[in-house]
Amino acid sequence: MKKHLLCAVLLASSTAFAQGFTPTRPVELVVHTGPGGGSDVLARAMVIMLEKEKLLPVRAQVTNKPGGGGVVAAAYLAEKKGETHTIGIFTGVWLTNPLTSNEAKVSLKDLTPIARLLLEPAVIAVKADAPYKTLGDFVNAAKQKPGELKQSGGSITSRDNVVRQQLQKATGTRWQFISFPGGGERIAALLGGHVNMMVIEPNEAGEHIRAGNMRVLAQVNETRLAAFPNVPTLKEAGFNVTPVPQVRGVVAPPGIPRENVAYWEGVFKKLSQTESWKKYVEDNQFEDAYQNAAELTKFYEEFSNQMRGILQEAGVKTVR
Amino acid sequence: MKALRADFWSGLALGGLGAYIIVVASRWEYMGQDGPGPGFFPLWYGIVMAVLSLMLMVSSVTNKGTNAIDWSGARSAFVAWAAFSVMVASLPLVGFVIGFAALTLFIVLVMYRKPLKVALITAVALSAGFYLIFPLALGVKLP
Amino acid sequence: MDVLAGLMQGFGVALQPLNLLWCFVGVVLGTVIGVMPGLGPPATIAMLLPLTFLMNPASAIIMLAGIYYGAKYGGSTTSILLNVPGESASVATCIDGYEMAKKGRAGAALGIAAIASFIAGTVGVLGLMLIAPPLARVSLAFSSPEYFALMALGLAMVVLLGGESMVKALLATLVGLWLAGIGTDLFSQTSRFTFGRMELLSGIDFVVVAIGIFAIGEVLANMHERGGAQAIPVPRGVRNLLPTMQDMKDSRFAFVNGSVIGFFIGVLPGAGSTIASFISYGVEKAVSKHPEKFGHGAVEGVAAPEGANNSETGGALVPMLTLGIPGSGTTAVLLAALVLWGFKPGPLFISENPAMFWGLVASMYIGNVMLLILNLPLVPLFAQVLRAPVYVLYPVILGISVVGVYSTSGSLFDVWLLAGFGLLGYLMRKLDFPSAPLVLGLVLGGAMERALRQSLMMSDGHLSILVSRPVSAVMLSLAVLILLIPLFGKFNAWRLKALK
Repeated sequence: MKKHLLCAVLLASSTAFAQGFTPTRPVELVVHTGPGGGSDVLARAMVIMLEKEKLLPVRAQVTNKPGGGGVVAAAYLAEKKGETHTIGIFTGVWLTNPLTSNEAKVSLKDLTPIARLLLEPAVIAVKADAPYKTLGDFVNAAKQKPGELKQSGGSITSRDNVVRQQLQKATGTRWQFISFPGGGERIAALLGGHVNMMVIEPNEAGEHIRAGNMRVLAQVNETRLAAFPNVPTLKEAGFNVTPVPQVRGVVAPPGIPRENVAYWEGVFKKLSQTESWKKYVEDNQFEDAYQNAAELTKFYEEFSNQMRGILQEAGVKTVR
Repeated sequence: MKALRADFWSGLALGGLGAYIIVVASRWEYMGQDGPGPGFFPLWYGIVMAVLSLMLMVSSVTNKGTNAIDWSGARSAFVAWAAFSVMVASLPLVGFVIGFAALTLFIVLVMYRKPLKVALITAVALSAGFYLIFPLALGVKLP
Repeated sequence: MDVLAGLMQGFGVALQPLNLLWCFVGVVLGTVIGVMPGLGPPATIAMLLPLTFLMNPASAIIMLAGIYYGAKYGGSTTSILLNVPGESASVATCIDGYEMAKKGRAGAALGIAAIASFIAGTVGVLGLMLIAPPLARVSLAFSSPEYFALMALGLAMVVLLGGESMVKALLATLVGLWLAGIGTDLFSQTSRFTFGRMELLSGIDFVVVAIGIFAIGEVLANMHERGGAQAIPVPRGVRNLLPTMQDMKDSRFAFVNGSVIGFFIGVLPGAGSTIASFISYGVEKAVSKHPEKFGHGAVEGVAAPEGANNSETGGALVPMLTLGIPGSGTTAVLLAALVLWGFKPGPLFISENPAMFWGLVASMYIGNVMLLILNLPLVPLFAQVLRAPVYVLYPVILGISVVGVYSTSGSLFDVWLLAGFGLLGYLMRKLDFPSAPLVLGLVLGGAMERALRQSLMMSDGHLSILVSRPVSAVMLSLAVLILLIPLFGKFNAWRLKALK
């Protein structure tokens, strides 16, 4: 008898849920960096904005699942199949890892897409006292001394190297790429004169540019950023290169009900339209690039294919 | 003689590790187009490791010194380690508080042969302490 | 900005009652966190970020910075009492600190650690205050070859830590280097030695290895089947629980050494408090009149590394505040906090936000004083911990180890690794392999390999870059010299024997 009652109650409540999902306990926001890392900072800012704009009826907290550049976090989300109160922040590496790493068994395709939120643009910068005033100058110098000029950046699958591969292919030149584990060290290498050029996000280099230590040669973007009205984009500078975007967005575990997806979609769409979000994007020199779940799925495919091609040309072994 | 054998075996084990490293590292790229590849560093320290292990093995055989390895207490150490491992294995099932209490019980009772009452009190008190301090007061998750 | 004027302004900010309160909260919290192994400042600061939005930024950074250096003070406590390093910088303190504790001098060790930390911390702040901007510019000249040479020098110190057998010490170091290499190679993104396990993709966390080898290894080594009530003597009387005047005298050079080395190494982005503490330890042993006491409870062996890891905090803030470049995990989170509050750390930060900067500097002085006052009286209290019967103490150590490791990564796999390294630690003790070199190899291995490969990339494959640059040449020569010293010693001994 009690069992029947229980079933009836559950059935009733689940139909109530089916009409529209609302979270009833704290929401978990999974990031793949440790505290202080890029996604972590974004997540914490998002939590603050979600609270401020009252977009969630419950608390949100950030869970750090660092490891493998996103692999551990992705696997964590995949394990939480059907969990309605967990979401994760993904970046482009979640898409490229499965291409190059055998251990990265979970790709974004295995998770539920929610929204794409941001694009991180980049600029090509040199030290202020370098002899290059335009990107053309740098490329010409590289032509005269192939393989001698140096660029500091992240790993070879990072966007820094992707831009390099694209430019090298488009101009027929060659220069070296030296990996450093953190943005700080890459900047230090440039400012110390140990490398000649770097591709860097404007919010990381912003202060140095403002202080006059670094000069920007070009922007890696389709259109000019508001903060750099006088700097040409790659295409404007005469280089036929389609910039590969560096994205950040939201995903959810697989197997969640449609109302849940719709709910998350709604939350983040609203977030992207709030004033605090717009201010955040502007302050950090990001680009708002909202895409809903369906568009995001299409984006995965395009992005993965583009990256696979570039990586293979760069000589990186792809496994998928 | 026991001492010599000990150093010999550790030398052998490390030599084995060195050899393994050399084999695996030589499968990776030694020198890439832009610079040293992933195989570069491991190959070198693998080689040094193998050489040093050999030296260790040789010296253990030729050395006339007698520093005996004190194996006393080894049995208790291994038993304790086994208990610890059992606790770790049980963590997903029973959680930290119970697992730790059980381990404490085991240690006090078996390792130190204290009366059951003492063991129980210790186990309960310590587990309670952990539970109070960590998740409640500091917000640290227990396994 | 005139230094004195700035300082006045800073004290004006820091001495406000509210900020004093936040400073106090920060240092207390920091000490508690430092005592807990595994739980570190980065995670704590990140957790407290939402709270900081309720305060004004100056108060917030005062509190967060308090946590930062408070943790350094606290880290020595478990190192000395339980042989459990609170964080990587405390490993060097374990070496002599725990030995002192075993000899009944835990109080003296804790006291010297606090005093050394105070002196060095103050020196660090002085350095930050006086020479930050020009020093930052100079530090930019430091590049991969110099980093490699620095790491090599640190590893050469292994010889001084090596105890009897240099071969065994070197082997331990190499194992450490290997462990450091487990994971994903930065440059090529190939996974190395991961045995297909996802959890190993980012390598093995230092905390897991250190706690396993030191703490758990120690517990296992001391397991006897019949229990002693108290393994470690704790002398009675307050006099015996604090450092003596002789201790202070012995440590005078260590105070200087720790402060200076810690600060300058801290300034280098990427070099951290671990290498600072080990180099300081090594230098202290090298200049000591009785080096054989090191590793068996030499008080200078506690004073030097403890000082170094405290002045390193001042040093690490130099690149963070003048260039916006974080030098360590904690400074990275502090940087992120500043960004979240709307600041832009970079070359213009100090000049545009003098109140923040000088307020922070002043509060660091105050914080150091607070910590000294807090910690010294607590020393006898902490030393009483060792009175607990062994069968209580050891389970506690095991428990803290597990919790500490789990709290850093939330992964059960790491706890298994902990068990494994515990066994390794025990075996190493029995087979007479020194453990400090392994740990040092693990800490430095990754950075050293990166620096070497970066250097070779910069020089197009010519190793000569390492000696053509003056600074790296000097450091490498020192490293080689240090490695050769014991050989000279043995050669001399052989010669003397032959002459007889």
